[in-house]
Amino acid sequence: MQCGGFRTSYRSDERIFDTAVPIVGVVLVLAVLAVVPRFAGTYWLDVLNRIGIAIIGALGLNILVGYTGQISIGHAAFLAVGAYATAILEANLGLPFYLAIPVAALITSGFGLIFGIPSLRLKGLYLAIATLAAHFITTYGIVHWESMTKGVLGLMVPTATLFGVPLDSDARVFYLIFALVIPAVFFAKNLFRTRVGRAFIAIRDRDVAAGVMGVSLYRYKLLAFVTSSFYAGVAGGLMAHHSRILFPDAFTLLVAIDYLAMIIIGGLGSILGAIFGAVFMTLLPEVLKLGATSLTGVYPNAFGLIASTRDIVFGLAVILFLMYEPLGLARIWLRLRSYWKLWPYAY
Amino acid sequence: MSHTRDLLVRFVLVGLLVLGLAAPPAGAQGVIKVGNLVDLTGPTSDQGKDIAQGRIDAVQYFNEKGGVNGKKIELVSVEYGFQPPRAVAAYKRFVEEDKVVLVLGYGTPDTEALRPYITKDKIPYLSGSYSGHLTDPRQTPYNFPGGIDYTSQIRIFINYVKENWKDASRKPRVAFIFADNAYGRAPIESGRAYAKEAGVDLVDEEIIPTVLTDATSQLLTMKKKDPDFAYINTNTQWVPVVLKDSYKLGLKTKYVVNNYGIDERTPKLAGEAAEGVLGLQDVAYWGENVPGMKTLMEFHQKHHPNDTHASPYMRGWLWVIMSVEAFKRAGDNPTGESIKKALESFKDFDTWGLTPPFTYTNEDHRPTNRARLVQVKDGKIVQLKEVSVDRDMKWIGK
Amino acid sequence: MAEQIVFALQLIITGIAVGGVYSLMALGFVLIFKASAVVNFGPGELVLFGAYVAWATILPMKLPLYVALPLTLLVAILLGLVIERGVLRPLIGEPIISVIMVTFGVASVIRGFLNMTWGSDTRPFPVLFSQEPFHLGPVPVSPVHLWSFVGVLGLLAAFSLFFKFSLTGMAMRATADNQQVAQSLGVSVKWIFALSWCIATVVSTLGGIILGSVRGGVDFSLADLGLKVFPVVILGGLDSVTGAIIGGVLIGVLENLSGGYLDPILGGGVKEVAPFVVLVIILMFRPYGLFGKVEIERV
Repeated sequence: MQCGGFRTSYRSDERIFDTAVPIVGVVLVLAVLAVVPRFAGTYWLDVLNRIGIAIIGALGLNILVGYTGQISIGHAAFLAVGAYATAILEANLGLPFYLAIPVAALITSGFGLIFGIPSLRLKGLYLAIATLAAHFITTYGIVHWESMTKGVLGLMVPTATLFGVPLDSDARVFYLIFALVIPAVFFAKNLFRTRVGRAFIAIRDRDVAAGVMGVSLYRYKLLAFVTSSFYAGVAGGLMAHHSRILFPDAFTLLVAIDYLAMIIIGGLGSILGAIFGAVFMTLLPEVLKLGATSLTGVYPNAFGLIASTRDIVFGLAVILFLMYEPLGLARIWLRLRSYWKLWPYAY
Repeated sequence: MSHTRDLLVRFVLVGLLVLGLAAPPAGAQGVIKVGNLVDLTGPTSDQGKDIAQGRIDAVQYFNEKGGVNGKKIELVSVEYGFQPPRAVAAYKRFVEEDKVVLVLGYGTPDTEALRPYITKDKIPYLSGSYSGHLTDPRQTPYNFPGGIDYTSQIRIFINYVKENWKDASRKPRVAFIFADNAYGRAPIESGRAYAKEAGVDLVDEEIIPTVLTDATSQLLTMKKKDPDFAYINTNTQWVPVVLKDSYKLGLKTKYVVNNYGIDERTPKLAGEAAEGVLGLQDVAYWGENVPGMKTLMEFHQKHHPNDTHASPYMRGWLWVIMSVEAFKRAGDNPTGESIKKALESFKDFDTWGLTPPFTYTNEDHRPTNRARLVQVKDGKIVQLKEVSVDRDMKWIGK
Repeated sequence: MAEQIVFALQLIITGIAVGGVYSLMALGFVLIFKASAVVNFGPGELVLFGAYVAWATILPMKLPLYVALPLTLLVAILLGLVIERGVLRPLIGEPIISVIMVTFGVASVIRGFLNMTWGSDTRPFPVLFSQEPFHLGPVPVSPVHLWSFVGVLGLLAAFSLFFKFSLTGMAMRATADNQQVAQSLGVSVKWIFALSWCIATVVSTLGGIILGSVRGGVDFSLADLGLKVFPVVILGGLDSVTGAIIGGVLIGVLENLSGGYLDPILGGGVKEVAPFVVLVIILMFRPYGLFGKVEIERV
């Protein structure tokens, strides 16, 4: 049983998993994921798919906001670019999805680069407001560039095919999504072992000092935006294939706020936090819906009232987490884990 | 004060939500499940609330009378805030988990988005969206708009303009003012084509945002083209802004508003500015002298006398009445396909007088081609006459 | 030619009138920021709250105006206190992103609460202003807009004087500058925060009443206007009362001009996005706006 961290070499310090236990845990999770589509109904597969997409998106946002400290409310815009780019590349240029999604993600990174430029001059609040503006400008572009995006009428996404098998059911899309979630998680985790990742963290903690130390703020801030929007681009591309038809309405400011809530409730600056946050925020409305529907069977008029509870519950969740557990679900998980590991000792 | 009591009850209900989570779903035997999609928190929530209430009430009414063919109707309700992705998720749930046989749909963007799924799953989809894009059974065999479609409405407008134009020296000038979303835009392309066909000059199109506070700049631009008539295609909440700004600017243009943009509330919302404005009415207003109104009003008074009851409430009832009839005709074990056939057997079906009689065929999913022309006079909505447009198959699906 | 001038003039004057409403909302934002450096990302919901309470006291409760209006303002003050005491105070000192998110959370709760209590129907707003337009030369202006503009100017005067000459006003500015020093000089920081939120909610309520009158009805979409506040406060300066007023007017004019001239060319929607384009441009070249205090970063 481990007590604290005792490292004897740089190599062991850098390891992602300290002991064998987490590795076993991860393998188990992967095994479960592999067989889930066999048993789950379409509805729950849909929910899991949305969770997967949210995980990728949240990881991206966490890299930017949680690890590099650049506040961005523009995440929905990046998702939109990724989604629409994927759909357009496939529909107009006939690219297969395994090319379209990466290319779309690259396009989104380019976008991120442009919108990252204000971060070189602005900090904190001002950056947040700039990203807010970026969101509206991007949304305007998508709605009004009708020749490409069909604007408000909706853009149909061609079905992806892999070796002749069409990915048209939730079960099949599930595999696609989680095939991308896993590398996304590991890439992110690994990122913060490298000097790039450490540069990000340095910028978040004390950017002036980082600059003095030789970390090029210019380069790394932009890189943070680029990486974060690449993730968003991938998530967007997956969204395109999941919902099969794209509307600008799917990318409102509320989406960006939802993602921010994910990483805050999950825990800023924590990979696991992003995952927890994504799961929590996606499941919250589903749980409420379940409650509402079973209650409606008993008392029909309750339906209308329950609908407004979603807003209240969301707001309260955000407020309560920020007030009582600012480090989020990840922290709670860590506490649980250490309690488990160290029992009956207190620390 | 009963209002306080109501408030208390509401808050207690929220607490009951926890219990609700533990409650098991209702039994599946002898029940017809119907999916119910509504917006209660998004931009059309003011309509959504009444529509939801109407649907819930109507289902309760029919269940109290013993249901249909001995089975009770169960509404599986989902609130989706007018966000199409949530509608898609809800629909998937309706089909997979709840195994509904019919869906009472709602908005244009999500109904249009779900078209391919609906067709594949063979689930009849009775929508609050009356978009012309849903009326062609060759493209969307399972979509049934629940009222006169927007394209027919805009054609009625253009016909009205032509009929009432007395000046032989020039063609009448018209403009379209519509909301920047799928619903607002639905009939515009057909409207342009039909205007050309009818020999009416479409001089201007003004786009207003979904959420509207000030239309002055759009109206000023429109004023330059000086249209004689303008058609407004947006929701009841925002039409008053257009009317008020137009009044302020002293525009001479005569307005005609579509069915979702004008109802009993308009005179109160727009005040002076609404005088003389024309509109299309698709469903009876509260208290109108039609056979079904008495039942509706009694039910409403019995269960929640203090609630609102604008025309969306009537629509909620209307669509359930239609569904119940379809279930009846579909027989003992209704399936998606049998219900579709049942709906297509509607010939001059009497909707308790709430609308003109509905006819669906397997070639034409437009329920009716008749509406009523109404006008705001002295702060009230006054019914002028019935108007209609021929069921030209050329405009199906557009 | 004259027609062109009249057209432009109409747009400008309408812009000024509409801008008055934006200024009012921006004022609420600036006041909170000025006193406590808290950014409120839910200004729309505060306005919505004000509009609903005003409606509720006048129509369903049928209270006479001279009772309803003060009552509405009283409720607004209560809301300010609740928000400040319950939510913002525990978060003093937390990183800014937490504070931003918490204001989103508060906005969400207000929204849900309003929906639950009064439902989402559009309620016709009581007619407080006449509909007949005033004519400023060739340009008609609705009385609502006129009064709101006058009101805003009055508030500008009042607040400028308040912040410059009154003891409380100076205490607020001191608190925004450096809380610790202010406290050490005897300023009750808690009270200042509470006061600033209360003033903000009151001002937002006035904005809500104006917007309700302009729209003719109250419904939830009123809150969406809240985001327009950001271009205004960035243009004017986040902590400047004068800036909020002038920024509001400028943005209103800009909106209308771009709407009148660019919408026909670009097909609509430009009116809504133009303020945000301006916002980005200003942030790039003059982030502190026209009247904002330039922040010098100390290491």
